[in-house]
Amino acid sequence: MTDDPIAEMLRRCAAQDRAAFRALYSASSAKLFGLLIRILGDRAEAEDALQEVFTRVWLRAARYDGTRGSGMAWLVALARNHAIDRLRARPRVTAEVPEDIADDRMRPETRLIATGELLRMTDCFGKLEPDRAEALRGAYLRGLSYSELAARFDVPLNTMRTWLRRSLISLRDCLNQ
Amino acid sequence: MTDPARADDEDDALAAELALGVLEGEERAAAQTRSTRDPAFAARVAAWEARLSPLADQIAPVPAPNLMPAIEARLFAQDRRERRFRIGALIGAGFVIAAVVLLAVAFLWMTPAPAISVHMQTADAATAYDATFDGFNLTVVRSAGQPAPAGKVHELWIIAPGKAPVSLGLLQDRPLVVGYPTPPAGWVLAVSVEPAGGAPAGKPTGPVVMTGEIAI
Repeated sequence: MTDDPIAEMLRRCAAQDRAAFRALYSASSAKLFGLLIRILGDRAEAEDALQEVFTRVWLRAARYDGTRGSGMAWLVALARNHAIDRLRARPRVTAEVPEDIADDRMRPETRLIATGELLRMTDCFGKLEPDRAEALRGAYLRGLSYSELAARFDVPLNTMRTWLRRSLISLRDCLNQ
Repeated sequence: MTDPARADDEDDALAAELALGVLEGEERAAAQTRSTRDPAFAARVAAWEARLSPLADQIAPVPAPNLMPAIEARLFAQDRRERRFRIGALIGAGFVIAAVVLLAVAFLWMTPAPAISVHMQTADAATAYDATFDGFNLTVVRSAGQPAPAGKVHELWIIAPGKAPVSLGLLQDRPLVVGYPTPPAGWVLAVSVEPAGGAPAGKPTGPVVMTGEIAI
């Protein structure tokens, strides 16, 4: 239990412990802010989103279930979902699709925390076809939708969907091994 | 024709799509609604969120401004009003006066923690930043000169004796505010020039253009 301090803070937040809420902000805001800036591409909007995310963290802390994943994984999912809701609510501008997905390629040498999980993920990503792995990264790290990915990779939407679904299932099977 | 394993894979793929965020419009809304009503599906979505979360480890953290005052004001403002009302209703006016007198005495006894300032400037004194610890936050403002040249950014670091620098954030045109209640005596603040977006690996890569010791 103590090996996941974020999970412990979430449990204390669920018990209305405001000191734990502040500690949680100190411990996780930089990671979530980095993620929000990456997905939203705009620092001011990311600040706005971060405020919304932490408001939801406090209100939903009781829903965190430690058997389903780490505390940080729960926070990351909450932040990503909120950021993607914001992206999907934006007016559609096809030209906005970022062209620099290649920047998101796994760079183990520059990553901050060498988690075993990330190493396994890198390994399993390596087994996917390169353009499919790139599409998956574009979806996760940039919040690209199926139609944006299809435009970016110049394939029909259904093809992109088939690609990604197959890639996700083989990723799951590889990670479960 | 119904193959349970296939239906299972179908559900899992949809859960993965929702967790990944690639769905749009009605399809995303429908999947979101399903995850609030179908616990088995919600569990699949949660499992996918956890499975994919190591991908977020490749994004460098960016120190966030202290948004807690705004967040707490939003969450707890009403709460505070209610409590004040309850207390007001419960205690008599005499007691209020006594409390006010006590508070006034307490204020007289309390001396506010003195603010600690650190001035940093480049060797040619053309650019300068002033850092102030006010007992709650560290606030850093540019007091002279220009921001980093186009495509670059000034990044603030704090360095404990004998330790590696830790980033406190990027210095833009507006003040950088970081929650930092107790100024650490003898530690050093430093500003380096980094590529736009900040040092990619959480350690300084560009030249350190100014430093200042936190002297108390």
